[in-house]
Amino acid sequence: MPQIELINVSYSYRTGEGQSVRALRNVSFSVEKGEFVALAGMNGSGKSTLAKLLNGLFVPSAGDVVIDGMNTRDEERTFDIRRKAGMVFQNPDNQMVATIIEDDVAFGPENLGVPREEMIERVDRALDAVGMQEYRTRSASKLSGGQKQRVAIAGVLAMEPEIIIFDESTSMLDPEGRAEIMDVAKKLNEKGITVIAITHNMDEAAMADRIIVLRKGRKVLDGTPKEVFASPEVEACGLALPPATELARMLSERGFRFDGTVTDEEELVEGICSQSN
Amino acid sequence: MLAVELKKLSYTYSVKTPFEKRALDNVDLAIEKGEFVGLIGATGSGKSTLIQHLNGLVKVQEGEAMVAGMNASDKKTLKKLRFTVGMVFQYPEYQLFEETVARDVAFGPKNMKLEKEEVDRRVRRAMEVVGLPYEEFAERSPFELSGGEKRRAAIAGVIAMEPEILVLDEPVAGLDPVGRREILALVRKLHEEVSPTVIMVSHYMDDIAEMADRIVALKDGRVVADGSPAEVFGAREKLAAAGLSLPTAARIADKLAARGIVLPRTIVTPVALADALAELKAKRAEKESEDREGEEEKDV
Repeated sequence: MPQIELINVSYSYRTGEGQSVRALRNVSFSVEKGEFVALAGMNGSGKSTLAKLLNGLFVPSAGDVVIDGMNTRDEERTFDIRRKAGMVFQNPDNQMVATIIEDDVAFGPENLGVPREEMIERVDRALDAVGMQEYRTRSASKLSGGQKQRVAIAGVLAMEPEIIIFDESTSMLDPEGRAEIMDVAKKLNEKGITVIAITHNMDEAAMADRIIVLRKGRKVLDGTPKEVFASPEVEACGLALPPATELARMLSERGFRFDGTVTDEEELVEGICSQSN
Repeated sequence: MLAVELKKLSYTYSVKTPFEKRALDNVDLAIEKGEFVGLIGATGSGKSTLIQHLNGLVKVQEGEAMVAGMNASDKKTLKKLRFTVGMVFQYPEYQLFEETVARDVAFGPKNMKLEKEEVDRRVRRAMEVVGLPYEEFAERSPFELSGGEKRRAAIAGVIAMEPEILVLDEPVAGLDPVGRREILALVRKLHEEVSPTVIMVSHYMDDIAEMADRIVALKDGRVVADGSPAEVFGAREKLAAAGLSLPTAARIADKLAARGIVLPRTIVTPVALADALAELKAKRAEKESEDREGEEEKDV
């Protein structure tokens, strides 16, 4: 049984003027435990709506979202679903609840009524996992954006989730901060946590096992990075190819030949070397 | 003519407290009218403090800041300075507040105490320039626009003041690829049509390499590099010491060099890299055919 299952999910909301907007139309897919999936699409494609459907923040207008056998419509399971599927949001400044970092990370488990001994252990493990142990007793206000997001991830980890959803968690960070967060996401995935990364950065999407592309609320592509970047649809969806893919394309126009679609710099360098020596 | 002249400019935050931090340290910088300057530096290097001096948002503590012929410490010209230097801050759309786009864009020129006709003319022009046609967008609420449109509306509010110098702090932060391309194209257009001098702060080295004529790099409040993109990105050791990364094309060129394909260090854009590689390939093919011809001659 897949860990996450979306069956014909549609979602509509009303604007301030009472107009109904369909943010998602008939979206179906499933995700297995341990996968690293990127959900990509331009602004307004429905990707953030989808993220909020995954942990029951929104309930579908039609269709079902099932997390580990629990339907998000079932209000009695909302709590379990949120514990299983943690979410890291976009703005690093909006996610802190305490001034001292360890208090912030402890906030979730404290609310769960986790005994003190275990809570200390959880906070410890969570801060280790994101590389913020040495900041434990410091104030959150002096941190960089990337560090704040790492603390937010630690807060989610302390709940011991099986799934983490990154809802454009890197989009407000500088390149160093982005790299820090993607690095943490990859490490958590290697430990078996399912990662869903909502992004419009194709360099980040290229790190996933699988990319799902949304356009105007519909799922238009679903495949490995290679498959997705080879599709002419990508640019029609308002997405840019990763720089390495773009460069390979420019070189192809200048007489170079590559095997399949190039998705990262190493592959590109390898390809150029093989036909230049 | 100089648009900006900073002389021995220094600035310290939280003076005489345990949090004292020297944000700018003896900065000398002259920018000619008409230049497009990319300002780079890691977070905390002093970029924001520097640009806030340009329209008097922070008071000059030490040294001097001359901007468009005005001294930034002169209170009498402060107001004029604010109209002469247009500031587009990060996420400028958070500053939209009026009920309609036209009223929001009119806020700046109204503050300049211009005649109503002139305000109207400027609002129309600014909206046209940013690609939000007046007829279509004037009466809409700024809050119902898409992310990219909101940002363009906010930029229209700045350029409606027709500033001589335009300063943009991370203008594409948070935008999707389409919005990003649109805003970069707009910045280029503003440089050509509205504000002759542009200073753009960005963490995206690829954008800086494509757009700027000149790059100024800061580290710990000091200018550590100043020159054309080829010069600044060409000086790899200096750049690494400043904690700055390379544009994608230069980084790939380095990886190729490590594998024996040596290209000039002045390559900073994808097109330049692709062209250089194609040229190398053509030369090699030429040489091979010459060698072959040589062999054939020997056979005869």
